[in-house]
Amino acid sequence: MSRFFHGDSSSESSSDEEELYSGNEAEPKAEAESSEESSDEDDDDDDSDSSDEDGAKGTGASRFLRDDSDESEEEDEDKVTVVKSAKDKRFDELEGIIRLIENAEKISDWGAINDHYDRMNRQLPTLQRDLDGKAPKMYIKTIAELETQVTEAFEKQKVTPKKMNPIAAKGLTALRQKIKKINREYTADLEAYRKDPEEFMKEEIVEDTAPAPKKTKSKLLQAEQALDANDDGFTMVGAGGKAMIYTPESILKHLRSIVESRGRKNTDRLEQIKIMERLLDVSVTDYQRVRVLITLIATRFDLTSGTGSQMSQEQWKLAQEGIAQLLGILEQEPGIVVIEGAEEWEDDEKQPVVGQDDLVKVPGSVVSFVERLDDELTRVLQSIDPHTAEYVERLQDEGSLYIDLVRAQLYAENLKGNAKLEASQENINRVVMRRLEHLYFKPSTVVNTLEENTWKAVPENLDSKVSPRSVGHDVQDLVQVLAVYLFNNAEGILRGRAMLCQIYFLALHDQYYKARDMMLMSHLQDTISTFDVNTQVLFNRTLTQVGLCAFRAGLVYECQTALQDICGSQRQKELLAQGLQIQRYSQITPEQERLERQRQLPFHMHINLELLECVYLTCSMLLEIPTLAQAGSSPDLKKRVISKSYRRMLEYHERQIFTGPPENTRDHVMQASKALAAGEWKKAADFITYIKIWDLLPKAAEIKAMLEQQIQEEGLRTYLFTYAPFYDTLAVSNLADMFDLKEQKVTALVSKMIHHEELAAALDQVNGAIIFRKGVELSRLQSLALTMADKAQNLIESNERVLEQRTQGTSNAFERQPQRGRGGGRGGRGGRGGAGQFRGRGGGSGFTGGALGSAIRAQ
Amino acid sequence: MAAIAPAVADAPIREVQLEALVVMRIIKHSTTAFPTPATGCLVGMDVGAQLQITNCFPFPAAVPEAGSAAANNNPADPYHHADQAALALAAPRAKSNASYAAEMLKFLKEVNVDAQGVGWYMSCSMGNFVSQAFVENQAFYQRATDERTVALVFDVGRSSQGSVHVKAYRLSASFMAALKENKFSAESIQKSNLRYQDILLEIPLRIHNSHLLTTLLHTLPTPPPKAPLDFPAALSELHANPALAANPLAPNLDALDLSIDPFLEKSTDLMLESIEAHITEQNNASYYQRSLAREQAKIKTWQEKRKGENALRAQQKLAPLAEDEWQKLFKLPVEPSRLEAMLVGRQVEQYARQVDGFNAVVTGKMFGVRGNLVLERELA
Repeated sequence: MSRFFHGDSSSESSSDEEELYSGNEAEPKAEAESSEESSDEDDDDDDSDSSDEDGAKGTGASRFLRDDSDESEEEDEDKVTVVKSAKDKRFDELEGIIRLIENAEKISDWGAINDHYDRMNRQLPTLQRDLDGKAPKMYIKTIAELETQVTEAFEKQKVTPKKMNPIAAKGLTALRQKIKKINREYTADLEAYRKDPEEFMKEEIVEDTAPAPKKTKSKLLQAEQALDANDDGFTMVGAGGKAMIYTPESILKHLRSIVESRGRKNTDRLEQIKIMERLLDVSVTDYQRVRVLITLIATRFDLTSGTGSQMSQEQWKLAQEGIAQLLGILEQEPGIVVIEGAEEWEDDEKQPVVGQDDLVKVPGSVVSFVERLDDELTRVLQSIDPHTAEYVERLQDEGSLYIDLVRAQLYAENLKGNAKLEASQENINRVVMRRLEHLYFKPSTVVNTLEENTWKAVPENLDSKVSPRSVGHDVQDLVQVLAVYLFNNAEGILRGRAMLCQIYFLALHDQYYKARDMMLMSHLQDTISTFDVNTQVLFNRTLTQVGLCAFRAGLVYECQTALQDICGSQRQKELLAQGLQIQRYSQITPEQERLERQRQLPFHMHINLELLECVYLTCSMLLEIPTLAQAGSSPDLKKRVISKSYRRMLEYHERQIFTGPPENTRDHVMQASKALAAGEWKKAADFITYIKIWDLLPKAAEIKAMLEQQIQEEGLRTYLFTYAPFYDTLAVSNLADMFDLKEQKVTALVSKMIHHEELAAALDQVNGAIIFRKGVELSRLQSLALTMADKAQNLIESNERVLEQRTQGTSNAFERQPQRGRGGGRGGRGGRGGAGQFRGRGGGSGFTGGALGSAIRAQ
Repeated sequence: MAAIAPAVADAPIREVQLEALVVMRIIKHSTTAFPTPATGCLVGMDVGAQLQITNCFPFPAAVPEAGSAAANNNPADPYHHADQAALALAAPRAKSNASYAAEMLKFLKEVNVDAQGVGWYMSCSMGNFVSQAFVENQAFYQRATDERTVALVFDVGRSSQGSVHVKAYRLSASFMAALKENKFSAESIQKSNLRYQDILLEIPLRIHNSHLLTTLLHTLPTPPPKAPLDFPAALSELHANPALAANPLAPNLDALDLSIDPFLEKSTDLMLESIEAHITEQNNASYYQRSLAREQAKIKTWQEKRKGENALRAQQKLAPLAEDEWQKLFKLPVEPSRLEAMLVGRQVEQYARQVDGFNAVVTGKMFGVRGNLVLERELA
């Protein structure tokens, strides 16, 4: 088990605690709250600032923290000595720039102002992020003042004949254009400021000093307002100063206009979201709410449609809550159904009546929303540095996402259960797959907590047919049930993925044989190359996990073969989608690189690469060192390479003139290899067990003991291979002493070696000794001759390949050789078949056929 | 030495006659220099189709000249010494040695011995002499003088196993022509039908003892047989009896040596090396093929694209773009020289023949041994 799982489990459990805490209270008051919240924003235009305070109290405890920091920031402005957060520093910097601008204004140094202005604008995005998308007050103030100053200066310059100095003039014109452009974005704020500068600046101070009373008051007030709105419309002034009236009757009309503007350029999505939040407040019927919510959620997702940007946490949370709310409504009102392919309701004036026998169908897909929500979270997690607190914070959102997933699954099942709807099976499959993908890489304890919290959050009366409540208690069963469900109902890639997820889960929970059997029975290794890249990555991950599982079970050979493909290449990171690997001579287009980046797994799903390498190298060592000793100095030494990368490292290590004490994992393994090759098993074992990374595995002590025993056995084998030629007889008890093994064990090992014809010896059981036979090994000439035969064979084959290439497989290429005149495109195969026959005849007599053979005979 | 290639007909030299003195000197020089190859100059004269080699003198190893292209040393690394073998092999065509040889010839003329350079000799081990250096040396001689030179190859390794191994070689005319143009592309080789068998011509060689030497040999004291000899039954028995043979150095018991393994091991080792070299060459060639194919595919697509553009431009009544611009845009890879591959081929052939010859001899010996054993057992 890797380091990341430790980190993961802790973060996971903490997120679950959070869930317990916030989930309990969030659910019941979700609806009330969100209506309040959005009515809060009704008066945003008047005091645009208050929204961030009001919005904050809607989303739970974390927001209060933010408020605190806001306050502290205000206080800090006076005392500079106080330790500041990065955010405060940024504000101070902004202030500094503004001061510089003001100073420059006094002497009309427009060039300097232009520079400072640019700097300020560059800082703005970060500041805005801190303030949840609002520009800071002083920024607004500065740009407002600047605008007036600039226009004045410009007018003055027109009138006065005296020329400005050229730098300043240039600065002024540049500044004027920029201000024009940028100020357009903040028209609302600017107007508010112009109207009453004092008030605009004051507000925030007032709020900060006494936030609590105002909040309760405004809450009450807004609740009343919301009630009012439900009764008789709600008049308010829109951003353009145009009166906008939102009534329950006009909701659909507004929605239609928003939907129509979707995807167009220059649509202000934030504005639309605000409108829809308001619409949600005034909506009366469930149908209206559902309609508004669907559009609202979709628009929230649209906010970050680009590939480079991620959803902000606030927007994500809101979207998540929106989905939860939507699901809540749909669960309570079975008369409304959200389903794909439903007909649009064309009549904006009349609204459908719910409650009759026939269902009201609304076009949309809950499953797609949840999937999108999941994707967005993944994208956010990809972009955040995994070692920051922010990452953990965002990771905690996975809990609520998982609840939504489960509820969406329930809803999809519900739809499917309704015979009238003909809902597609695919939806359930998709959402079950998502759920499985959230489970498969987690240890069972984590999944248990997750499941418990989820079922607590799901309304009591709901239960799943696919994965009933009762199954949730046993994680193994849950994964099994989900995977089997997908296997029975889905097809193609989803089936494969489900299989892989289950294997991964099994491997993670130390069920090696089960995992291996499933892996082999799935036959995925034959077809995996036809799957999409993400599934291939999953396959690689699963394979790796199976390998690690084999290692934990002490099966060195199985582990090595499983890990060979992934670790043997130099592209582990790429294969496991755990980071980009910059290849020196690669010709990756930016497009490909972007795709690659998108595929990356978030950090909490990573398999620890260092551990992986350590396991792989250790296994390679245990297999390679005896093989090397066995091969000795025979010329076919190179042929039996088990792990190329290990061999390369070993060679590199041997070439070093001075070897210092080992520093990293690789050094440790290499030095252990050297010791093992020299028969010093104790030293080798010490080197291996010193490696710190074993501690990341559960039951590290057992694994170390296992490794030690393996080293003893392989050390014995190595010793026998290396020194057998120097012995006539060898007492078993001696060997047992030397390698600290039991005599039976030594006897067993030696017998095995004799049986596999690795050792030319016999066991004398009476005297407890091994008697070596001499002169059994191949003589040098014999082994050379064998190598020679092999090489000649290869030469013939490659010659024929070249011939094939030259002739492009045309028919007359092989007609000279009647014994294989198969002609046509099969010429190549014929050639190779012919070569195969030589091998059958064996060694020296094989030179009778083939191009080279006939050339020799022609002499 | 029966295999006389038909190409010899137009070459003036049909036979090489080697003085025993030369053989002895070469043996001495070569064995002292072993394992680095030794090289030297041959002097003598040509009588009709026969080339008589009457004397020789060794070359000192080539001194790498500072700054010259012939110098093997790396300018970046002044402490680097070219390896001894390469230096020794470069000797016959080194500039410093040309003047040395001229000087030696002058002295020889003064003492009134044959003073015509007729070639050069080198030593090798187990026949591993076919290399680029060998070819270049011989080409240097064959080019420089009016075609009356041979290369003698003395095999130290094989000579240590009994009989002296000396061979005389010349480069074939077709190979010389190819070498002059330095063109060893697949195409030119195909055209000239040059094969690896055609690189070297072996010339029959005869060792000649002067009468003085023969007399000396005959005066060498041989101990008389201890036991009384049987009377010969016939006159022919007098000739057959080794104890009474006229040749004082016979019988040579070295020829009965039965150690097979060392020879075969060494040959196989060398053969493996050659195959390794061949594989390298083959890889080079196939790499070239691949990159050529790739480049050609690129050119083809470019041409098609350009054709399409031109068609479009023709519709728009614009002047067509040049269609042969690809020559500037794309660079075809340079074809690797096949010379090395050919030489490797010749070298392998050399080894194979050696083993073949060796086998013929050894098989005979083995039968002899077997016959002896069988006889003994039957007697027992």
